[in-house]
Amino acid sequence: MSTNHSIGFAGLSHLGIIYSMATAVRGFSVLAFDEREGLATELTAGRFPVSEPGLDEAFRAHGKRLQYTADPKALAQCGLIFITLDVATDASNNSDLTALENLIDRVASIAGADTTIAIMSQVPPGFCRKLAGKLGSRLYYQVETLVFGNAVERAINPERYMVGCGDPAEPFPALYQTFLQAFGCPVLPMRFESAELCKIAINCFLVSSVTTTNMLAEICEGIGADWSELAPALRLDRRIGPYAYLSPGLGIAGGNLERDLVTIQRIAGQFGSDAGVVTAWQRNSVYRRDWVLRRLFEVGLLERPAESTLAVWGLAYKQDTHSIKNSPSLALLRSLFDYRWQAYDPAAIIPTADFPRVRVCSSALEAARGADVLIVMTPWKEFASVPLDGLTTPHVLDPYGVLDGNRCRELGLQYARLGA
Amino acid sequence: MLVHKHSTPLKPARVVILGAGGFLSPELTRLLAADGVPTRAIGSREIDLTAADAGERLAAELRPDDAVIMAAALTPDKGRDIATLMKNLRMAESVCAAIGRSKPAHFVYISSDGVYDARFSSLLTEESTCEPADLYCLMHIARERMLEQSCRAAAVPLGIVRPCAIYGPGDTHNSYGPNRFVRTALKDGKITLFGGGEECRHHVHVTDAAKISILCLLHGSTGVINAATGEAVSFREVAEKIAAVIGNVAVEKTPRANPVTHRHFDSSALALAFPSFRATSLDDGLAQAIERSQGL
Repeated sequence: MSTNHSIGFAGLSHLGIIYSMATAVRGFSVLAFDEREGLATELTAGRFPVSEPGLDEAFRAHGKRLQYTADPKALAQCGLIFITLDVATDASNNSDLTALENLIDRVASIAGADTTIAIMSQVPPGFCRKLAGKLGSRLYYQVETLVFGNAVERAINPERYMVGCGDPAEPFPALYQTFLQAFGCPVLPMRFESAELCKIAINCFLVSSVTTTNMLAEICEGIGADWSELAPALRLDRRIGPYAYLSPGLGIAGGNLERDLVTIQRIAGQFGSDAGVVTAWQRNSVYRRDWVLRRLFEVGLLERPAESTLAVWGLAYKQDTHSIKNSPSLALLRSLFDYRWQAYDPAAIIPTADFPRVRVCSSALEAARGADVLIVMTPWKEFASVPLDGLTTPHVLDPYGVLDGNRCRELGLQYARLGA
Repeated sequence: MLVHKHSTPLKPARVVILGAGGFLSPELTRLLAADGVPTRAIGSREIDLTAADAGERLAAELRPDDAVIMAAALTPDKGRDIATLMKNLRMAESVCAAIGRSKPAHFVYISSDGVYDARFSSLLTEESTCEPADLYCLMHIARERMLEQSCRAAAVPLGIVRPCAIYGPGDTHNSYGPNRFVRTALKDGKITLFGGGEECRHHVHVTDAAKISILCLLHGSTGVINAATGEAVSFREVAEKIAAVIGNVAVEKTPRANPVTHRHFDSSALALAFPSFRATSLDDGLAQAIERSQGL
């Protein structure tokens, strides 16, 4: 479809870059604003600060409908503006809303009185109702369910749209209605508070699945079962489903899930609800994160810090992303700060000044060369195609089971993964 | 979780060991001496910590550059009653008074894993809820709080080590576990289990408990660390291992009086604090305990 109306995006972090692109892919003319120095220029040239499958291809095919700008006044021409600044979190996963609030004030002062403003940024329950007191009925909250590493595909083809409204019985403004219909998915209007909680609820269910999987996978390790044999059976159960999070991993990471857990704990505390299960999820996540550390410690691979070299494949918190937020890999590097490391990741970059004993390599095999143990901390697909015959590390810790464990054993390597 | 003052080990000027007559003290003294660290072990014969003037007398012994380790307690075999609890607390009161007066450079307290509540999770960490099940364990958590308050007031860094049941040569008590199993196996040719001995526990060799405590001293560590090494194994497995080494030993079950509870410890914090620490394997530790008991 095509339209003469420009749809605006304000705040071009991961969220804004992806959703502005998806909107252009769906045929809209898009004006994307961020005043951080040089960012609009970089984006205009197709140089993205985030790594997502399909992003470069989408830009090549649909970039002509996208205009990046550092000038906030340009937004005045837009009848619909999305606020898409990712909300930063601190080390305790608490949100800092300052930058978002400043951006909203800025946009509201520029936008016309009839302009629809839709918040996509991660806000806590109660935020939009309070904001609507200032902005009136033109405010909406569109729940984002961006998945790092699959963000472009999901933004172009969403499962559904959940839209928080001041009054869900009121029809959407025409342009917003056009936008929502363009994606061909169910649209669920609901009150602000429901939408704000809906996002958190989705993440709680995800964490619940992740934690249950991890707990049961560990029990598999104890009793000699193999989680990879159970998981297909669970996926065929309609109550669990084919897309359930049933792959054992190193706890929750990335920042968004952790933020929502902290938020729900705060709300539960405020209203006197029992959120003890959330604390259990958090505890289990930290416990799973340290699986590799415990393994290394318990089999004696850390006994000689001065003589050991550890190789790590993967620094990102998950595959297909550059993000290192709450990455188990970085947590491991920090825990074993005094050890000599050789690291490789296809996309993620670490601040080398913070990790002086980590040598970043340009290939997986280079990182593994001469190391005493190889640890696969992120399940990038490319690791599965590394020729195992080239490995000389006597020990392989592969929590996600990316490598062929049987082949590793045939080659005489000590191999361990989660869930078996 | 521990926070180290010294990222690389630094020997204290001297280590004062309280509890010279106990199980852990000789091993601490031996290992510290081997490391070239001067020690001064003080037992109840020299200073009775329950005495009214004990705080003053202990303070007179302490120097500002001393690291102090307290492994002194009346253990359950000396009594499980209120009177024993109060004596143990009086000992801590004396030590707290001495800390206030002498302000040593560092203090390490040997507590117990018994402070934890394993009812809701059989996997315990340093963050697990403390809910002592008896007066002995209550004593340890009360002492921890007393020492925390005193050390904070005196600006003395405090490290707390919570070991699981310790076994090995030099055991001064006869509590249920590896050491009693070895003794009865050698003396009576049998090991008697509570129930079927199903309970899983970590059994910490005395050398390992001492090494972890010394690592705390060398790093000037503050915070809490569990001294739980290896895997948790059942008492039955321990008994069978001992019986297999000694030979001709019957492992006998008895009617179960209490429900089975397991206690496993997450080793993450220990790995984080002292990654290069390597524990004695249970097989090696039991073999050593048997050899010593046989007088070999």
